[in-house]
Amino acid sequence: MNLKQKYALKKWQDLPLGGVILEAGNAADYETGTWRTWKPVTHRENCIQCLACWEYCPEDAIVLENGTGPDGKPRKFVVDVNYYHCKGCGLCVRECPVNKEGVVQALGFVRDEV
Amino acid sequence: MKHVAGKPKILPITGAGAMAQAMRQINPDVVAAFPITPSTQIVEDFSQFVADGKVDTEFVTVESEHSAMSACIGASAAGGRVMTATSSAGMAYMWELLYVAASMRQPVLMSLVNRALTGPINIHCDHSDSMGARDSGWLQIYSENNQEAYDNLVMAARIAEHDDVRLPIMICQDGFIISHSIQTMQIEDDAAVKAFVGAHKPYHPILDTKNPVTWGALDLQDYYIEHKRGQEQGMKNALRVIEEVSVDFAKKFGRKYNLFETYRIEDAEIVMVAIGSAAGEIKEVIDELRTKGEKVGLLKIRSFRPFPYAQIAKALSHAQIITVLDRSASFGAHGPLFVEITTSVYNYCDNRPLLLSHTYGLGGRELSMQMIEHVFAESRICLDKGEVNGRQGMWLNVRGD
Repeated sequence: MNLKQKYALKKWQDLPLGGVILEAGNAADYETGTWRTWKPVTHRENCIQCLACWEYCPEDAIVLENGTGPDGKPRKFVVDVNYYHCKGCGLCVRECPVNKEGVVQALGFVRDEV
Repeated sequence: MKHVAGKPKILPITGAGAMAQAMRQINPDVVAAFPITPSTQIVEDFSQFVADGKVDTEFVTVESEHSAMSACIGASAAGGRVMTATSSAGMAYMWELLYVAASMRQPVLMSLVNRALTGPINIHCDHSDSMGARDSGWLQIYSENNQEAYDNLVMAARIAEHDDVRLPIMICQDGFIISHSIQTMQIEDDAAVKAFVGAHKPYHPILDTKNPVTWGALDLQDYYIEHKRGQEQGMKNALRVIEEVSVDFAKKFGRKYNLFETYRIEDAEIVMVAIGSAAGEIKEVIDELRTKGEKVGLLKIRSFRPFPYAQIAKALSHAQIITVLDRSASFGAHGPLFVEITTSVYNYCDNRPLLLSHTYGLGGRELSMQMIEHVFAESRICLDKGEVNGRQGMWLNVRGD
């Protein structure tokens, strides 16, 4: 069952009482990406992998992957933005230390054309 | 007289004291309350029961009524049977949460002692507190005397917690007139009350950690109105449930209640409609007037929310004039009871009686037997003339009118 079927609008008789939500963690199914008017874009060639964007993101929309650091220890790396959840608030773009230096951009911010 | 276990106890007790006794017998999981006149004795007595170990209740001494109702909602969502008591400004301070309790379908049980709302500040009885909350989604049951208030509270859990209802309930009694008056009444046996009330059945409780749920989430254009529609259905179902529980109560304890009470209305030309303690005096006046041949009767409201429109219309289908006494004012409009009675009569039956609205008793102003007689006499004049013009919407016992 896809999300569209899962969240097909129900009749009032078919709802649990009082607006109780019976499934834990189903906020992850909620597509907040449609709220976006601007979107962050990763430029991995400029990224210093400080994970500040991941730390600041209010939607947990920065996608990480497992890898190995220069010291040989396992660590996480930024790969992409999850546009299903990204609202386009731009916090990641503003907090990116590479962007702050102003020479090159590790996270661009562009109009999200629908 | 020595009390025999298993037998009811006849004793003189105040209305507020009787409510505390009912709470002790119900033995709720949580009580969160902030004492306020005239409901103070309920909380006072009950906290003594807690201190004496007579109940297992977790008693939350909150810093305000806003917190009291918040704690009640939280405890109810957690899965407990929850009770509180308040009056007037105390309930007004709960206002926001009254709606939350109802829309979250948490069957919180409240013992409300009706008192005027400020201002000017006043501590005595009228119905402006609960009447203002009539749209909040709470069931509202009114009581004429101590016995009724106690009986209604004993029935409250069964009604509010019923699967088809799941709504909070306020059991109302008149401040001071009932809450502070000692009447001889029957307190049922503890075990019998416990058996009647039964165990609390939680609905998706938060404390069921194996099945985590979210209560009170944001609800927008796509679902809010469906949830409200469900809430309305709970109220509609409550009409049936109140009757069922009342029938069961009568079987068990012998005292019969209905959605409303009628007194000598079968052949009555003039029917007075009232709520609460005033009904006692009105019945007395009716008996007196009946000896003089005047065909008068009373319809006393028990369930105001839900309002039994069709049933009341049927009961009033032979009345020629209906005189409604409101103990609260809706400024710029007729009183809330008058509006409901008018809706009832004009939409649910073919009878087209005269309807006369009166406001009385605000801030505890007394309603004397002479005053009731006067209202019946006024009603008779209107009926003879065939119109109520000039008398509509009068305030009783007000200097200057």
